[in-house]
Amino acid sequence: MTRNKRNIILLFLSLTFILLLLFIVDLLAGSVHISLNEIPVFLFGDGNATHDIIFMKFRLPKALTAVIAGATMSVSGLLMQTLFRNPLAGPDVLGVSSGAGLGVAIMLLTFAPLNNALTASMMSGWGLILFACVGAGAVMLIIMLISSRVRDIMTVLIIGVLIASAVSSVVTLLQYFSNETMLKTYVIWTMGNIGNLSPSQLKALSIVSVAGLLLAVTQLKPLNAILMGDTFARSVGVNIRTSRILLFASASILAGSVTAFCGPIAFVGIAVPHIARIVSGASDHKVLLPSTLLSGSIIMLASDVISNIPPSGSVLPINTVTSLIGIPVVIWIIAGKKGIKKSF
Amino acid sequence: MEKGREIISTENLAIGYSKSHGNSMVMKEINVSAFRGELIALIGKNGSGKSTLLRTMTGMQQPLSGSVFMKRKKLNDISRTDLTKTISFTSTEPIDLHNIKVYEAVALGRFPYTNWLGTISHDDHIVIDESLNLTGLSHLADRKIDRLSDGERQRVLIARSLAQDTELLVMDEPTAFLDLPSRYSIVSLLRKLSREKKKCIIYSTHDLDTAINEADKLWLMKSGKISQGAPEDLVINRSLAEAFESPSLSFNISSGTFRLVRSPKGSVRLEGSGYLRRWTERALVRGDFRIETSAKYLIKTPDVADDTGWQIITPGGEIKHFTSIYDLINYLDEEPSVNLK
Repeated sequence: MTRNKRNIILLFLSLTFILLLLFIVDLLAGSVHISLNEIPVFLFGDGNATHDIIFMKFRLPKALTAVIAGATMSVSGLLMQTLFRNPLAGPDVLGVSSGAGLGVAIMLLTFAPLNNALTASMMSGWGLILFACVGAGAVMLIIMLISSRVRDIMTVLIIGVLIASAVSSVVTLLQYFSNETMLKTYVIWTMGNIGNLSPSQLKALSIVSVAGLLLAVTQLKPLNAILMGDTFARSVGVNIRTSRILLFASASILAGSVTAFCGPIAFVGIAVPHIARIVSGASDHKVLLPSTLLSGSIIMLASDVISNIPPSGSVLPINTVTSLIGIPVVIWIIAGKKGIKKSF
Repeated sequence: MEKGREIISTENLAIGYSKSHGNSMVMKEINVSAFRGELIALIGKNGSGKSTLLRTMTGMQQPLSGSVFMKRKKLNDISRTDLTKTISFTSTEPIDLHNIKVYEAVALGRFPYTNWLGTISHDDHIVIDESLNLTGLSHLADRKIDRLSDGERQRVLIARSLAQDTELLVMDEPTAFLDLPSRYSIVSLLRKLSREKKKCIIYSTHDLDTAINEADKLWLMKSGKISQGAPEDLVINRSLAEAFESPSLSFNISSGTFRLVRSPKGSVRLEGSGYLRRWTERALVRGDFRIETSAKYLIKTPDVADDTGWQIITPGGEIKHFTSIYDLINYLDEEPSVNLK
């Protein structure tokens, strides 16, 4: 057992090291060259004015957003996979990200036209998060109700895909009936990426993400029992209903808040928990959750570094990069030797 | 033998499901009890309500009326936390995990005792190690669950239940889907635990043979009623026969086994004694021959399994020799004058 513990600590240390390394690489990546020894100057004094602005207003917030977005989307995916006992569950697959998008659409296209000042303050962060989380939670509730009747993994996933399309249709419908300015605001939001969060938005995102993560941490012990099966969990005294509500809330808050500011980030939520299972070899959520969190941040930072590779100064959409990383993992889960049912 | 303390009992218990448009009763007037150190097999046909009874007795489901008493205390008056430390329940829910080690799975049995993070303490380790030891899994502790046989996986569930350190262990069909040797080894493990650890163990099963041979007491569910007693008592008072007998299935009261009923195709007389006679009789019954003293054909079994073999004396006085029961039965099958039809 001690050998086991040492391995886990070693794993966490190496993941943290990779995370820090990629964080620095991400700060340096971009069309404007910033050297490593300039960084302390930006943080503690004043250096080259243009570089300072690029660093403090753009690179640093972007890297921080990548860390938060990767961690929260991945943990949200992990919680959903355990809750549904379904290895292919994840915010984007089950339509939870679309639900968050619908929440934002309702806010921007329906409530906003009533009051312009309100819109401005809402876009600053809290309103956006609130609507996105409620949207995400609503879709999760629907999926959970369905999956309590339908046990088959594939059926639940197909229903998730259908719900995602249905939600997109509702958003299109809302767009059809809204005026030009509102539509423009919404379209800009949908193109959102991790690179344009305002300081107040970043603050809101951090606070809500930490809250969601803390909520998940309180459920670490029940999560392990729930993974064994609902009847077992109940027989050892887990209050399934309470745990489920808290985990729902956590998963919705985590996926909703990121989606609110960064738009839907594809395949991170579904793929990273599996990567964490492989690197840690664990099924205990005390190990899985931190591994998933660190791996998620690493993958997101790596994706951001990759998206800056084109030398022309243009940046690839981060969604494309995460998809290209995540989809092979998902295919491997479905078609791999162990098969979809043996991935837990 | 001094009788152990009473662990669990029911009083006019009625089980079933309460629905908005009235209750659906599964069984009522259930009065059974279980004592410390007893192994109890719950037996009944499919759909007779075995799982419902076990779920009600473990507090996983509310009774429709009547009460369950855990050590003379009403189940409903015991807090959920205390209950998880007195009763462990293993349902038919299989372990659907693959990336989990045997040790970790068993450690989950410590759930009611660990802190909010589920940290395994030194004391927990001792209990887990003992549970692994008792179930013969110590050497597999580091193995992943998906590398175990079905029988070993069932042992993991039993070890997990033991790690919960409860006086009462309730298991729903622990021997389902297992082959015959594994079924016996699981039931004899349960028996060992009831003897050595003084656990009260209640398990449901379809496997009459192991239940009759190993359990101290049967709870027999039949046509809306439950009767309890030693397996032998239930054989003698014909409760077992009544529970399972049908026009196509008959119960042999001397051997305690069930047999499919077919109309006999012939009759023979049988002479001999000892185990060779018993096995010959078995083969004749399986071959649908009735044994009657007035039959025309006489079969003599050898006293010992030597080369004199079996003899058939035909009505004409002719003596035929056979070296195996197989040949004997084949001859009778093809001899038209033996057959009634």
